[in-house]
Amino acid sequence: MLLFLAAGALIGWFYGQLLWGLLAAALLALAWQVRQLLSFDRALRTDNFDDFRIGEGIWEQIYSKFRFERDRGLRQKAVNRQLLREIRNSTDAMPDGAVVLDANNEIVACNRAAKGLAGLKRKKDRGQRIDNILRDPKLIGLINSNDHQQSVEIPSPITDGDWLNCRVVPYGAEQKLLLLRDVTERIRLSKMRRDFVANASHELRSPLTVISGYLDALSDAGDLPADWVKPVTQMRNQSLRMKHILTEMLELSQLEGAGSASRNENIDVVQLLNDVRIDFDRPADAAEIKVNAESSATILGRKAEIESVVVNLLSNALRYTPQSGEINLTWRSSSDGAELIVKDTGEGIDPEHIPRLTERFFRVDRGRSRGEGGIGLGLAIVKHVLVRHDAELEIKSEPGSGSEFRCVFPPDRVKVATPTALS
Amino acid sequence: MEASDLTGHISKRFNKDIEDLRSMVLAMGGLVESQLLRAITAIVTGDSELGLKVANDDYKVNDLEVSIDEECGRILAMRAPAASDLRLIVAIIKTITDLERIGDEAEKIGFLASRLAAMDRPPDSYRELKTLGTHVSHMVRDAMNAFARLDVDEAFEVVREDEGVDEEYETIQRQCITFMMEDPRSIKRVMNVTWAARSLERIGDHAKNICEYVIYMVQGRDVRHTGISDASEIPSD
Repeated sequence: MLLFLAAGALIGWFYGQLLWGLLAAALLALAWQVRQLLSFDRALRTDNFDDFRIGEGIWEQIYSKFRFERDRGLRQKAVNRQLLREIRNSTDAMPDGAVVLDANNEIVACNRAAKGLAGLKRKKDRGQRIDNILRDPKLIGLINSNDHQQSVEIPSPITDGDWLNCRVVPYGAEQKLLLLRDVTERIRLSKMRRDFVANASHELRSPLTVISGYLDALSDAGDLPADWVKPVTQMRNQSLRMKHILTEMLELSQLEGAGSASRNENIDVVQLLNDVRIDFDRPADAAEIKVNAESSATILGRKAEIESVVVNLLSNALRYTPQSGEINLTWRSSSDGAELIVKDTGEGIDPEHIPRLTERFFRVDRGRSRGEGGIGLGLAIVKHVLVRHDAELEIKSEPGSGSEFRCVFPPDRVKVATPTALS
Repeated sequence: MEASDLTGHISKRFNKDIEDLRSMVLAMGGLVESQLLRAITAIVTGDSELGLKVANDDYKVNDLEVSIDEECGRILAMRAPAASDLRLIVAIIKTITDLERIGDEAEKIGFLASRLAAMDRPPDSYRELKTLGTHVSHMVRDAMNAFARLDVDEAFEVVREDEGVDEEYETIQRQCITFMMEDPRSIKRVMNVTWAARSLERIGDHAKNICEYVIYMVQGRDVRHTGISDASEIPSD
């Protein structure tokens, strides 16, 4: 460039017009640059660099830099496209349905499994709110709640009799992933298990009735040889125990299969506690039972089931409380629900055992409790009844000073009524 | 009309109002669908507790109807919508009435289920009710899908399916009459079956109505009482 200007100046000086020569050379240079700029711009727009003359100096540098960046961009784009395709292929290969939702619960994308499981249409449903397509009330509740630990099971919107397990996982800024899993098989298996337990208990009961009937007759008959008295009595007690176990297993399997308890009955808890206290069949040396009625509220639920909760908790408390001890049955209510508390001053439970207490057939001390009539199903029944009534069981205990079983009912199960409502 | 047409307003608030309203209607539809499914399950499995629960839950459907109605009135008063928005509101007001009736029929079926559970069950455990019920619940589901996706083709499909439901209802009725003639002692039970079938058939009609509102909403033409052959001759674009 400088060379070009110098040449212009030289020619100008030769003719005695140095400045004019310089100006003419500068104008020529400018015109060339502008032409170059325009053709570069045209080449950029048409993406056709065949007509573009690279020239020298700065233009060559710019052009090579541009070529380099452009090629790199294209390569990167190809890599990204490949990556995207692979990600998409892999999400499509996933057996579980996944739906990406934005802050308004609108569908951003979904994989193939979601299409198959929930009947989503990839193109047509983009931008549609997910709860417009999957309308089950339970799922709508899950999406609108901010509890991301929970999952719900909904009937499949495509196949009758199939069930989907739905979970919502939040990620990024306000985005959510809805995961769908086909759990038909699991639900079918657990139903089969429940049915098996129910049928087995039922079938075992009839032969047992015959056996215990004859044993009753035998032990009532006075002419039993002396060395047969003890075995027959023991057989009779054990057959009674077996019957008891079967009844409880049947009860438990029925509770498990049923959903939420109906709210048809209005249960007067204070009266129930008093009735149980009076009717409870307890040995003469049992601890004293007190009823503290701090509320006249009633529970909406199944009376027979709530009664079995009280009976089970009370019989547990009696079993572990010495005669000098005391058992308190308390009923209290507040604006955020109501509590039914069974508190004893018995021997208490080791903290390590508390989480396992409601497991079936779990006993803290195997050798001991069998002798005293415990089966290990009582607390499991309590737990299932409470779950059916949307209530929770809280257990507090300190070895040596007693235990407290607290059944917490939510406000919508509690009716604060006038005491005269039920007479 | 695409879903995006509904969201092309200058006022974002209006957009949101309309989208929320649509979601409410579909949530009500979802509730009704689940009520219907549970009622059918109750009658087929003889689960009286489930049947009563369905009957007791009907108030939720009614509550939703009232609040959606209010919201429609509010939008009409405040936004004075025109053209497709107006059609949407009009269609919604009609749709929720039919949805509420479907809810009422489901409630009835729930009651009947609890009553039938106490009586002796036929060996086929009401297979014909199950078939009819499945058919009808698919219609309701497809009607709500057509509403959500503004899918006229699917709506026509449901309207066409109603004829099949009517035929199935006829068959059940004839079968019930035969049972009653054979064994007059079963009249009480079979009458309940007839009522349940009648309710299911009515639900089919309501689903059909909803689809007709969807067609009105999308295309702006009224296909009620025109006969399906006339209606579908016009290209559904």
